[in-house]
Amino acid sequence: MPTNAIASALPRIVAMLRANLLVGLTLAVVTLPQAIAFSTTLAGLPPHFGIYAAIWGVLFTALLNPSRVFSGGPNTTMSAAIGITLLPVAPPFGADYVGYALTLILLAGLIQMLFLLIRPLGRMLDLINEPIINGLICGIGLFLIFKSLTSFAGLPINTEVEWPLWIAWQSFLAVLEIGNMYAIQIGLITLITSLVVRQIGFLRNWAILIGVAAGTAYSAYLNATVGLQNTMIEQIANLSSVGFVFPSLPAFNQEAMSDIISILPGAVTLALLGLFQTVAAMRRMNRKIGGYTDSRKGIFADAVSNCVLPFLSSLPTCASFNRMWLVYSLGGDSRVASAISALILLLMVLFLAPLIAIIPMPAMAAIIMLLGANMIVWEDIKPHLKNRREAVVFMASFLSVLFLDLFGAVVVGSVLAIAYSKWEQAHPDISVRGNVLKVRGNMYYGSLPVIESTYHDVMKREGTVTLDFSECYYIDSEGIRWLTSAKAGLKARFVDRRGGEDRREVEGSGKADRRARERHDARRRRERRDRRRHSEF
Amino acid sequence: MAALPAKLLKVTLIVLVLGGMYLLALNKHAERDQLRKISVDLTPSCKEKLQGYALAAAEHYRSPYVRKMSGAWSTIRGYSEDDVRAIQRGCNIVDDLQGNLANSGARERWNADRFVRGTHTTCANCHQGVGDKQDAVGNRLVGSNSLGASWAMADMYDRFTGLLLPHELRQMQCYINSSNGFKPNAADDLIRDVTAYSRFLSAAVDLKIGNRYPEQGMDEIPASATRRRGDDYVRGAQVYRERCASCHGPQGLGTIVQGRVLYPALAGPQSFSLDSRMNFAAVNTIMPGFICRNMPLGQEGSLDNQECRDIGYYLSTLPRPAGDKQGPLVAAWQQLMMTVMPPLTRYAESLGSKDTPHAPAD
Repeated sequence: MPTNAIASALPRIVAMLRANLLVGLTLAVVTLPQAIAFSTTLAGLPPHFGIYAAIWGVLFTALLNPSRVFSGGPNTTMSAAIGITLLPVAPPFGADYVGYALTLILLAGLIQMLFLLIRPLGRMLDLINEPIINGLICGIGLFLIFKSLTSFAGLPINTEVEWPLWIAWQSFLAVLEIGNMYAIQIGLITLITSLVVRQIGFLRNWAILIGVAAGTAYSAYLNATVGLQNTMIEQIANLSSVGFVFPSLPAFNQEAMSDIISILPGAVTLALLGLFQTVAAMRRMNRKIGGYTDSRKGIFADAVSNCVLPFLSSLPTCASFNRMWLVYSLGGDSRVASAISALILLLMVLFLAPLIAIIPMPAMAAIIMLLGANMIVWEDIKPHLKNRREAVVFMASFLSVLFLDLFGAVVVGSVLAIAYSKWEQAHPDISVRGNVLKVRGNMYYGSLPVIESTYHDVMKREGTVTLDFSECYYIDSEGIRWLTSAKAGLKARFVDRRGGEDRREVEGSGKADRRARERHDARRRRERRDRRRHSEF
Repeated sequence: MAALPAKLLKVTLIVLVLGGMYLLALNKHAERDQLRKISVDLTPSCKEKLQGYALAAAEHYRSPYVRKMSGAWSTIRGYSEDDVRAIQRGCNIVDDLQGNLANSGARERWNADRFVRGTHTTCANCHQGVGDKQDAVGNRLVGSNSLGASWAMADMYDRFTGLLLPHELRQMQCYINSSNGFKPNAADDLIRDVTAYSRFLSAAVDLKIGNRYPEQGMDEIPASATRRRGDDYVRGAQVYRERCASCHGPQGLGTIVQGRVLYPALAGPQSFSLDSRMNFAAVNTIMPGFICRNMPLGQEGSLDNQECRDIGYYLSTLPRPAGDKQGPLVAAWQQLMMTVMPPLTRYAESLGSKDTPHAPAD
């Protein structure tokens, strides 16, 4: 009976709902200050952009992505990429800027859609390995710390890209010399409170919120005693007029076209940064919870969400490492948690807007600094530094964030990823014993020069070569052509112990025999391929 | 429980570092306040300029210049002691950015040289007459890059980026491009003092805010202002050798005598960058305009429009630092060129000078 079934399942549903309610509440409370900080200090957009990303972005990805602990929403690096791309195009917070930002997000969504539709393109994302992603993340973390220095000290942000390290150094000196001391005090109180609270076990996940609350309380105290006209602290605008949905249109018109073309590289960067993180986060969380969700489903969820979000005044969405980790560690086990967090946030925005309005900007900058510092995790970096090849890739990716722009870093990262995997394959393990040359690895155009040089060395020394490719698992057509020409010289002998071919080599002679053997071989080869395919799993 | 003390130690360490930085900031702020309170030693040109405009702390300000030019006194709100010192420091920065004339070097110029890479740059190189160039009678000159008129212009659309830039941000562009340097924060005292000085200039010569005055910016020379023979850097090199090389050096590397920059570099590591609007390759009307109006010193107006454009073209072919936005590859290439080209050119020219006596004129 259905009623019975429901009645029997009810305790389970209630228990699940209750567990996920707490996770959802925590998630909402943790996301709120991040969302505001991302949109205002990083992306240069009004605060409701971040909040809508935390509501609608989280909700859409929760509905579209089947992964159990997936949590989307506003993201540091994507917000930073928006700010960096658009600062040279229009003044932040203005109407033009908002229009271009929406266009940028839509373009990124469409590019992500391409990654979904063109299957090999999406598969390419899997070639990005951990050292590259960790290098990017560390570089961006460091960048976020420098980037928020000026707003930490209540100084105006410069209108052009503040990327190079030496500009960051100038900003640091400016903070020391001409920073607004009230702003610095608010920022420091936020920073230190969050840091200390983080160490207390059960409050760990609430640290950011408590820090922002402390900073806001001190700012309110300053407003009461010194006066806002004297402290000159910037605060978040009142959101109460915004409501729960705010339709918007990306800027697409004749005059905007030249600017839209100029932000295209930025759109590619934005799309790739989002997909990198989603795919990497899903990969990492899959291994953590021991399940498997196809990363294409993540790409699908991101692409669709990012095509819709620009029409809802929202930042783009992608997976968030720290929030997914939060859901996982709180024991959240379904997508319900994320959906609940979105709904709670919606209620908070509708009813707590006047409270949000008095949050000071230096507190937001302090939060960004903290998150930036959290992105640099020594435990993640250490294994890369032990392996020389990984260390090179990690350092290159890390430094390219600091010395090139984000687009350059993404390009360097992708090129490195491809070079890395190719390099791996192009150096098969070759062992020589007497005139027997054993190849373990691939035999293809990239690895042939390595094999050939050893082959000719042995040939010169011994006069004949026995090439053993029992452990050679892939030969491309160029490899086959080379093998044919080597065989034609009559001094090479091929051995493959898997098929017992060396034994037949001795036995077999005569034309008919050979034809029969070839037929036999072809059949065997087919079987062998099948067997290998199975044995992979 | 070994983890707890380690954690505690880490947090304490971070808090101590942050506290140390806070104390350092307090110290730096106090130092800055003190620096802004001491009286300013003016450079000779500034002394003359500001005395001529009768700058003093008082309730009202009346400019002798306005009296001289219009015959009537105009009275406006005066300046406080702080304002006067800010204006004086601004004037010093414009006249002597590098602090060559200062007793205590860079300290008196408030970090000005932190934001420039070369050692030749001074605002007054381009903004001549300490940002307020006048003829003998006191007429302000057309296209003389006047700072007062620039301040009166207030916000201006930048024609290359399309951004609406206030005076402070336009100053930043000077630091990035014209001095091949770094961008000061918009709230930096360096920017504020120069703004105070520019604002004072506009008050002293009675400019009205929001207007476009002819002395603002360069008197640009587009190709249409010539007989359209086309610009030619070979011709430019010839004119440069005849008219400019005696001061700026045969390769435009400037002239330094006893550690003082007599004539600034037009090329090489000490000069403006490739992104600068003084670079003919970036904007081909500004450098010629500057040359025609202001060069050679004492013989202004002796070059015709085409010659100015040719010289500008020639100068843009000389190696100079890359702009910050051009990326590391261009920067490296320009560094190489700046190292390799001067000796090569010197060698080539020594061959040429050996040849000339032997070669009979055709």
